Amino acid sequence: MYTYDRKGPKRGVALYSYSAEFGLTKTLEDCFEDVHDMGAHGIEILANTHIENYPYPSDQWVENWFRLCDKYEIVPVEYGHWIDSHAVRGRELTTEESVEMLCRDLRLAHRLGFTVMRTKMPVINEKLEPVTNWREIIKGALPLAEKLGIQMCPEIHTPSNLKGEMVSEYVKFIEETGTKNFGLNIDFSVFRTVFGEGEWKDPAFTPNVPEDIIPLLPYVYCCHAKFINMSDDFEETTIPYPEIIRILQEHGWNGYLLSEYEGADKYDDGYEVGQTLRKQHIMMKNLIGD
Amino acid sequence: MEKQVIQSVGFRNICENGTVTGFQFKIRLPYYRGVFLSQLMPGTLFVDGERIEKEDITWCLKGEDYTLEEMKEDFKTHWTPTDLMVLKVKKPGGLAQGYHDLKYGFCFTSSYMPPFLQAALDPDKESFVFMPEFGKHVNERRLLIV
Repeated sequence: MYTYDRKGPKRGVALYSYSAEFGLTKTLEDCFEDVHDMGAHGIEILANTHIENYPYPSDQWVENWFRLCDKYEIVPVEYGHWIDSHAVRGRELTTEESVEMLCRDLRLAHRLGFTVMRTKMPVINEKLEPVTNWREIIKGALPLAEKLGIQMCPEIHTPSNLKGEMVSEYVKFIEETGTKNFGLNIDFSVFRTVFGEGEWKDPAFTPNVPEDIIPLLPYVYCCHAKFINMSDDFEETTIPYPEIIRILQEHGWNGYLLSEYEGADKYDDGYEVGQTLRKQHIMMKNLIGD
Repeated sequence: MEKQVIQSVGFRNICENGTVTGFQFKIRLPYYRGVFLSQLMPGTLFVDGERIEKEDITWCLKGEDYTLEEMKEDFKTHWTPTDLMVLKVKKPGGLAQGYHDLKYGFCFTSSYMPPFLQAALDPDKESFVFMPEFGKHVNERRLLIV
């Protein structure tokens, strides 16, 4: 199996970025090859999207998965999945049912060689607070996560703030349980300082400065290298990338920065998200020096 | 797989034991991730303006049929965006040869969206704010029966 031994921040791509093209004009292999072209070695998949016959792929599919990883020098980094506790209308799944769903994903992530999971919590309000039994759900899966060597990480995404209550609750949980199998995925949208004229901005959002990530770094197993606008001279104009990457390097953080392009324009006819990703990878390659 | 939600391939009458009992067409999931069947909210089908209730439509995924009632509680069977769903419509005699205007609405819930947004979902109407990665609820297509 392919391994990539570089230390520090490393480049990867979240295949979510290809949402508008996957299954229509791009296969899984096309996405792998595009990532390989960029010289990136990490990948994030969405289990419910990219795994054929999810949650029960055939052995043949899994065999092909590892063939693609070897051929394109790709490390399975992050397995995106959802705890779908609200999948049935009219009732919330019991803690046991949610744990069972989570454990099924842990086993599948492990089968595909992943070590981090982007664990999306079900939410209960417009502040995107997780279900009240999230601690019990995670605790129910911790023994299996520990056995399989997987870190479950909720994503911290705008309008959440790194110094906000949600993050401090997650950190408290990590400290109280002492677990190494639950952490955070920081989405760089929290650092966004520039908004276009007339562009909608969540009134609840206050940007973090890059330094705010420092106390969280021991719990950060992965980052979403969110980008909004890449200029034609390969600069991100809304998020302070040079400072963020410098801080990650100076503090010896070791992990993957997974590019995630969320812009709705990727659904426009003729839009080529691969080219947008390449712009960002030119910037990240230059900043990281890989 | 075509970009349109209603696919051109798969549109035909259903013949059982020599009798035409209805017709079928295929849809793709216009969402960036797959869903469990219980997340689906089927709406109303209009064929040439004629209204067909959701109870008269059976969903069929990878050869397995699911009634509306079965889908409501089924949070284990998963529909991946790369698989097409076959919708089998009860209509004795099927559809006549020639063009037909299909208009069909369906949507799906998401556990990571605030419950008040979920409560407002209507398969036969678009959401207040259109988000391309969730697709449109109501889709139309004009297709031929041979």
